[in-house]
Amino acid sequence: MASSSNIYSAPALTFELVARCSTTRARASILTLPHGPVQLPMFMPVATQASLKGLTPEQLEETGCRLCLNNTYHLGLKPGQEVLDAIGGAHKLQGWKHNILTDSGGFQMVSLLKLATITEKGVEFLSPHDGSPMLLTPEHSMSLQNSIGSDIMMQLDDVLVTTSPDKARMREAMERSVRWLDRCIVAHKNPDRQNLFCIIQGGLDLEMRRECCREMLARDTPGIAIGGLSGGEAKMDYCRVVEACTALLPDLKPRYVMGIGYPEDLVVSVALGADMFDCVWPTRTARFGNAVTKHGVLNMRNKKFANDFGPIEDGCGCMCCRSKLDGGMGISRAFVHHNASKETVAAHLLTIHNVFYQLNLMRGVRQSIIEDRFPPFVREFFAGLYSEKTEYPEWAVGALKGVGIDLTSE
Amino acid sequence: MFEILKSATADVGAARLGRLALGNHRVMETPNYLAVASRGVIPHLTPENMERYTAFDAAYMAIEDFLDKNPPPIMKMSKDTPRNLHSFTSFPTERAIVLGPRRFPAVTTPVGNGVKHLSIFTSTGFRNLTIAEFTKVIETTQPQIAIPPADLFHTSTTPPAKRQVRMVDRTEEWVDEFFHLADPQGRLKELGVSVFAPVLPVEYPLQWDYLRHLSEDVRESLSGLAIYDVNLLPELVNYPPLLSLPRLAFGPSKSPQDLLRQIALGVDVCTVPFVNVMSDAGVGLDFTFPPPETQEIHPLGIDMWTPDHATSLLPISEGCKCYTCTNHHRAFIQHLLNAKEMLGWNLLQIHNHWLLSEFFAGVRKVLSEGSARFEECSRNFSAVYESELPLGTGERPRARGYHFKSIAGQTRINEPSWQAYEGDSKPTSGSDTAAEPPVAPSA
Repeated sequence: MASSSNIYSAPALTFELVARCSTTRARASILTLPHGPVQLPMFMPVATQASLKGLTPEQLEETGCRLCLNNTYHLGLKPGQEVLDAIGGAHKLQGWKHNILTDSGGFQMVSLLKLATITEKGVEFLSPHDGSPMLLTPEHSMSLQNSIGSDIMMQLDDVLVTTSPDKARMREAMERSVRWLDRCIVAHKNPDRQNLFCIIQGGLDLEMRRECCREMLARDTPGIAIGGLSGGEAKMDYCRVVEACTALLPDLKPRYVMGIGYPEDLVVSVALGADMFDCVWPTRTARFGNAVTKHGVLNMRNKKFANDFGPIEDGCGCMCCRSKLDGGMGISRAFVHHNASKETVAAHLLTIHNVFYQLNLMRGVRQSIIEDRFPPFVREFFAGLYSEKTEYPEWAVGALKGVGIDLTSE
Repeated sequence: MFEILKSATADVGAARLGRLALGNHRVMETPNYLAVASRGVIPHLTPENMERYTAFDAAYMAIEDFLDKNPPPIMKMSKDTPRNLHSFTSFPTERAIVLGPRRFPAVTTPVGNGVKHLSIFTSTGFRNLTIAEFTKVIETTQPQIAIPPADLFHTSTTPPAKRQVRMVDRTEEWVDEFFHLADPQGRLKELGVSVFAPVLPVEYPLQWDYLRHLSEDVRESLSGLAIYDVNLLPELVNYPPLLSLPRLAFGPSKSPQDLLRQIALGVDVCTVPFVNVMSDAGVGLDFTFPPPETQEIHPLGIDMWTPDHATSLLPISEGCKCYTCTNHHRAFIQHLLNAKEMLGWNLLQIHNHWLLSEFFAGVRKVLSEGSARFEECSRNFSAVYESELPLGTGERPRARGYHFKSIAGQTRINEPSWQAYEGDSKPTSGSDTAAEPPVAPSA
């Protein structure tokens, strides 16, 4: 039974640390949110506009997903705040019984809108509807996320590409993010049923990251995100930042690294002590005809799959790969090839497979942590992806060595 | 295989109730409809969603959808495994596949059919299909029902009589060659493949001899008729051996009124492409049979794009038991269409197919009460509902090459969704709505 020393409770969540890897910083935990418990570490698929790319909520549920993302920016435009208020939030809009996490909307301002400018007030941008100037403030972001009713809300942060050489601007962004968190906390109307997570900024400067950690932790949000990453920085730098931050974070709060989704990145980040991840890559790459498998990414449009009547991935337990006898659809590579970029059904099928792959990978990671065999799991994972140890990416070998797993040994 | 349960008068030119055994213990109650598949799928529906949320018994597939490669992958499947087309398309085993040479409706080919071949359109271009190749595909894929090639209209639907005579002659030759190669009473029967012979859309005086041939010479090889012009149905009275065969109609079927007319003429199974068309148009079908008792004129469907649905928590059709109507609401569908999320079309497709299944169930129920009642309800249906399906106002899902034949200088049917405000901003990661892969250009 869990003792109180491994449980943290906030008004709208409970975090229970279930197990720790005896070698690395990996952890297994249960995060109980307003719409039910989720098992960490976990990957969260991105249902940008309140739908996961052609899947019904039931199909998403079947992959094992109990927490998915919606994007505040997109829902703010369509269907818009008034509609969300009238309907009663995003859960009711999309018929999703489980948890939703929303970003603050700030990242899209920067990634999709070239003309966004950031001031102390907030993010100024031109409306994609009519080109009129608009302002997204921490208060407005909170108001939108309150209307959405997400189980986890993210603070509005000042996002800067990590590779920016401008140290002064980086410091300004980090400090502003802290000030904006304070404004978010004040503006947040439903702390009893919606969790607000802070986002640690500071680019690749580890000292700045540590300073930001201390400031953010002082605000005592129920969960903590590490932001600004996955923007093109070197993987080694990425690992150093995650490692530096997790070293300072409390054990009994969930840690979310934003925008991470490649299988190798997930496994290494778990070893570095992170719990939650999201990325559009698995679903986007599905629409490009790519299947994510334990042996790497396969492009189903390649003609070598035209006559391949085997499943997308041997031994996979998703609805596509399981045979009809096993309650699945019994989809073959040949059939996906036949319809890839011709009928949207091929994209739906690969989306189901890829989301299942990501969630199942994390289920495997979690189970291995609980059974304290995470290091051998990691070795097996890399052995599945590469035929030779010499092909292992250097950054992963280095990062894992730092937490006690030597991939080159044995 | 086909049993007529109830029929008025002389059996021709009158609606009838029946049961069509499709193998795998599935029995189709008739009148009923065939869903139209594209490249082996009902557009927008994964096989599991189709199995769970739709009720139709069978789908129509086209051989031309599977012949884009050389050699075609389906021909690489083992002849010794049953129902290869079901395996290839992961189609539910208990539902039937009706396989014909061309899509319905088919894209007009630049050159018409030849003496020994059909002209077809695959995703990689136009090519010829010989009767021998057609036969091989049927033997390998093993659909429940095969429709041998017919020499149908090319560009004109009213060609000169000489051309019509040639259509009849060729079709007869092709059907005979197919029977010769495939042996319907031997090999095909072992494989569980039934044959529905084509009845051409040409004037009766020009094809009476072909019909006589079907009726007298090859009747034993036939399990049904594929009728390309329902107006010919009354003439079948001249061929009593053909009367007990199930009749599968290929249009015209642009509205439920057309379907009622087909049924009234004695069609047992209607092929209905307008369901898919309506889903793509963002229209949720909304009609019942028998029709409601009302003085108002009702539209046959609801345009789900319009902003008045934005906060509506109503189902598409009041009282509809489909997955979409019991789990989601108009506001979500309107949002999905507006945001161009693929799920919008999926949900509409589920609803529209469900609604059509219910429509046919209603038709059968009314027919069981007598043909006078059916005629009365059909008249009321025409009085209560508008005569045409709504067009829909929004953008369609992206059209593919095999959906239409492109013309030089054609404009895009949909505008690109995300554009830079000024100049050159490139989409970056972070949003799932950015760049999509390019679509293969049409042939």
